[in-house]
Amino acid sequence: MQDQLSALVAQAQTELAALKARPEFEAAKARYVGPNGALTALMKQMGTVPKEERPALGKLINETKTRVQALLDDALVGIESAELQAKLGPAVDATLPPPDLGPGTYHPLTLVREEMCRILRKVGFTVADGPEVETEYYCFDALNTPADHPARDAQDTFYLPEAAKFANISKKNPGEKYLLRTHTSSVQVRTMLKGKPPIRIVSPGRVYRRDTTDATHSANFHQLECLYVDKNVTVRDLKALLDYIFASLLGKDTKTRFRPHYFGYTEPSFEVDLSASHLPKVKKPWIEIGGCGMVDPTVFADVGYDPEVWSGYAFGMGLERLAMLLYGIDDIRYFYQNDLRFLKQFA
Amino acid sequence: MKISLNWLKDYVALTASNDEISRAITFLGFEVEGIANTGAPKLDNVVVGEILTREKIPNLKKEISLCTVDVGPAGGVKTIVCGAHNCDPGRRVPVALPGAVLPGDFKITQSKKYGHESQGMLCGPDEIGLPAGHGLLILEGSPALGTPINEVLPAGDTVFDIEITPNRPDALSHLGIARELAAWFKLPLTYPKQKFTGALADGVTPRPDLLKAVRVESPEDCPLYTAHIISGVKIGPSPAWLQARLSAVGLRPINNVVDVGNYVMLETGQPLHAFDARKLGGAEIVVRRAVIGEKLTTLDGKERVLTPQMLVIADAAKPVVIAGIMGGENSGVSADTTDLVLECAYFKRQSVRATSKRLGLASDSSYRYERGVDVHSSLEAAHRAIDLIIATAGGHVTGPVYRVGSDVPWQREIVVTHDYITDKLGFNIPAEEMRAAFEALEFTINREEPTEHPRRGPAWTLGIPSWRDDLDRPIDLVEEVLRLYGTEKIPAAVVSSPGLVTDDDPIVLFNRRVTDYLVGHDFHECVNYTLRPAKEIATWVSATAAQELALANPFVEDQSHLRPTLIGGLLDALKLNQSRGVAVTRLCETGRVFMERHGQNVECAAVAFLLAEPIGVRTWLKTEPSSTEDFYTAKHHVAALAAAAGIDFARQPLTPAAGNGHPAFGWQEGHSAAAGNIDHGWTARFGLLNLAMLKSLGLEGKVYAGIFVILPEKITGENTRRRYADFSLQPAALRDLALVVDAATSSAEVQKTLEKLARAATGTAFALESVSPFDVYTGPGVPEGKKSLAYSLVFRAPDRTLTDDEVNAVFQKVQDEIASTTSWQIRK
Repeated sequence: MQDQLSALVAQAQTELAALKARPEFEAAKARYVGPNGALTALMKQMGTVPKEERPALGKLINETKTRVQALLDDALVGIESAELQAKLGPAVDATLPPPDLGPGTYHPLTLVREEMCRILRKVGFTVADGPEVETEYYCFDALNTPADHPARDAQDTFYLPEAAKFANISKKNPGEKYLLRTHTSSVQVRTMLKGKPPIRIVSPGRVYRRDTTDATHSANFHQLECLYVDKNVTVRDLKALLDYIFASLLGKDTKTRFRPHYFGYTEPSFEVDLSASHLPKVKKPWIEIGGCGMVDPTVFADVGYDPEVWSGYAFGMGLERLAMLLYGIDDIRYFYQNDLRFLKQFA
Repeated sequence: MKISLNWLKDYVALTASNDEISRAITFLGFEVEGIANTGAPKLDNVVVGEILTREKIPNLKKEISLCTVDVGPAGGVKTIVCGAHNCDPGRRVPVALPGAVLPGDFKITQSKKYGHESQGMLCGPDEIGLPAGHGLLILEGSPALGTPINEVLPAGDTVFDIEITPNRPDALSHLGIARELAAWFKLPLTYPKQKFTGALADGVTPRPDLLKAVRVESPEDCPLYTAHIISGVKIGPSPAWLQARLSAVGLRPINNVVDVGNYVMLETGQPLHAFDARKLGGAEIVVRRAVIGEKLTTLDGKERVLTPQMLVIADAAKPVVIAGIMGGENSGVSADTTDLVLECAYFKRQSVRATSKRLGLASDSSYRYERGVDVHSSLEAAHRAIDLIIATAGGHVTGPVYRVGSDVPWQREIVVTHDYITDKLGFNIPAEEMRAAFEALEFTINREEPTEHPRRGPAWTLGIPSWRDDLDRPIDLVEEVLRLYGTEKIPAAVVSSPGLVTDDDPIVLFNRRVTDYLVGHDFHECVNYTLRPAKEIATWVSATAAQELALANPFVEDQSHLRPTLIGGLLDALKLNQSRGVAVTRLCETGRVFMERHGQNVECAAVAFLLAEPIGVRTWLKTEPSSTEDFYTAKHHVAALAAAAGIDFARQPLTPAAGNGHPAFGWQEGHSAAAGNIDHGWTARFGLLNLAMLKSLGLEGKVYAGIFVILPEKITGENTRRRYADFSLQPAALRDLALVVDAATSSAEVQKTLEKLARAATGTAFALESVSPFDVYTGPGVPEGKKSLAYSLVFRAPDRTLTDDEVNAVFQKVQDEIASTTSWQIRK
């Protein structure tokens, strides 16, 4: 019996180690420890053994059983590992590119707009929106633009036919014409009429000018305007905002300067220059970036805010122009061609 | 507008450099668009020399001379190689010695030329920055040898090209700019001296035969009209100084009288007009509106047809001038003119502007009238012009002098306090400095009083001069003070950052969400023009809707309509990339579109994407082409975009997006779908784009697309807080059911029926969790015109494991119901 057990272990050692696949393993396992297996058969012989030998034999059988089980376990580990290995192909070449066309990209105008909005949100400005089809009142009248102002000419502004109706764009006066807004200042007017001061908004959006398309002009382009209405707002506050915006955008040593200018809806008004040392492709020390000023009392009166109580400032700039300066892009048309070789550069 | 520095110096003793003056103009609020120098610039080491000898250098193709040149006691005699034809001995010419730097950064050194050492260069006019001439510049009048050339040449001029903002017509003149610069540099301003003061000289006989009457029939357009008669003038060229002034600022000198008119306009900003008195029929002037059918050939040689809205200056019979804009050929000054009528008038800006616009005719005169001429300058400008005409053309003023209309009354006072200005600025400028600014700008300080304001600054009552019609309110004076103080001195400050008043607009949040989603799914965001060609619009909407989208005044033909969809632009982008050989599959855009609703347009927010076959894309990893980009990919993305606006897409009924007379021609019938309706606030379309349309656009391969459109007001910012729903932890019981149905029957219909029947069958005993399709089959075993749809039904109880028996009972009931109530066959 003892010899039989030893032989069994020896056989198991050679046989189990050679197993490669699970069906063979299951068959082998049955041959040894299954109900009809060799070890089970030996255990059944226990009864034929003299009583006094039984404890020793029992111990031996248990040891053999443990030994065979260990051999089975080892064999299974080997098989399982081989099975996992079989699921893998050959090793990858990690240097090959993913076969797709690469990750999606935000348009550079979106990137610049969102960066400006983030910068402004930090100082309390939230984003306002308004329609692109506007009326003469919201685009011109409410902004102190007289009826005979050249900006209102059909030569410079796109108009809709007089019969055109826009169900979700309100008119102030029944007779006024619809047009494509020439600036996002109309959003300021609608925001002021809808709400109550204090107001602190940034309104980025698409605007339209009846202009020849060339490297620097486009039939539609985008502006970004800020409006702040509160008590005791000063020219110095306005300058502080501009300094903050461009230091955030381009670095702490970036400077802005104001040049007195004229806009109908602000008084005093300024054009804003930016120190250009951080900008690619700009050779001049200063470059014009936008216009700003203190909201004209006439504009406040027109939206029903008491100019004696409320004061405010407004700032506006072209987003394409900003993006062109920041990235060093020299043709505005590239923004609207959507060549992927352009779009992929800004992600 | 061009402004000559020499001219400015007539009124203000400017000593600052050109750069400083340019800076001053800039920070006074006028943009300097260019600076041009006339005359020689400052040149070192360029002196007067005399050519002593000239020898032709032999054996050269060109004629080149070797000269000896005396450049005075300091320099001695130089040997210089010269290529000019006129380097004759005895001539005095500019000599650039080594060390000189000529315009164009041309450095003069001693060097070997044509085999000879050359110790400098003899200069032609262009080489020292003067207008080009032929050969060397010959210096007349024997200037001393060795004299620096700048001392010999007439001083140059600097011309600033300045953009004047529309609120400052007073600055459309040399005196106006001089006034500003005098204030900036704190220098006095000197007005030109006037000889003629309006009184006729003794012994002058009035000449009513030359002009017997002036009538203003339209005083609302012309509040003041003045006419002076000047007799005995001799028309000829202007003196050199006058010609130089006009040439410097880009005007061509014509004759002394015309030139004086232009000169006084450029000096004072007041336009004037001179008539040949002989040509005024009936010896009278009538200021009136034109009569229908009247015509006038203006000085530019064009015949103008006049309308009754237009103000003209007429004689007894015919118009002779379009008032404030341009004179007629029939009455102008000519070489043989001897008697003049000089007009100097105040025309209303609206009248001039309307006529100028109607005729498409603008002039230096109309430009000024449109912006507003000083109401008080008419007589002064007339007197100034009379002085200059007499000085340059002779003659004398004869009566009668006509002044029709009243001198427009001008009195404007603004009361402003130091505290008010300080409050608006946010920093302090001393009261004395403010007062100095007012005085420098020629405001009269009518009163200065202390105030009860907290800071007790003074209150000023200021008289505003007639040329500053733009100043009307205290706020306007804030800018005046700040301009002269210097905007560069605004002190820095920390930006105040109080808490947020509102959140971003819902539409902005929506755009951000959908762009993030699409870019996160490998789409490239595009930006296209809103204005699209009529032809493209016809692809997407009906002819009547297209008409509603047309602009009244398009600028170019292919940008004539508002876009009803974003897909047209995206297809343009696809085409551009394909044609440039740039691999592209996924494009997206957000933006406004314009749709028709109940016969009116609505402006909508939209987001759209394209999924194009990767034409010409070769990758090392071979996969089935288009296996992943199909109708259902488009549906998946559209559902996600709708969800970003809070719309549960799965619950929406779908209709075809194309065919059946549906106007959305851009979609491929049978391979596209639509959901929602803009009448109810939103709509979506998705699927395959019409293959014939793609082909006609020159696009290759199939293109799937999706667009979601919503009214801005339907996007709400509030996120509705979801409620947690309990879910069962018990095991599920699954049953599969395959049905043979008509090919046209939609899965949604079958699924809905199954859900209804299964729910009814389970009752309250347990629950149907879901019904989902897992197989769609046509082919052997399924009759022609039919299809097999297989569904997996999942049942679950909240509190126990379901038994086979109870689930089987329900499942059997469902099958029985299908057999008895539908035409569908259960596929075993």
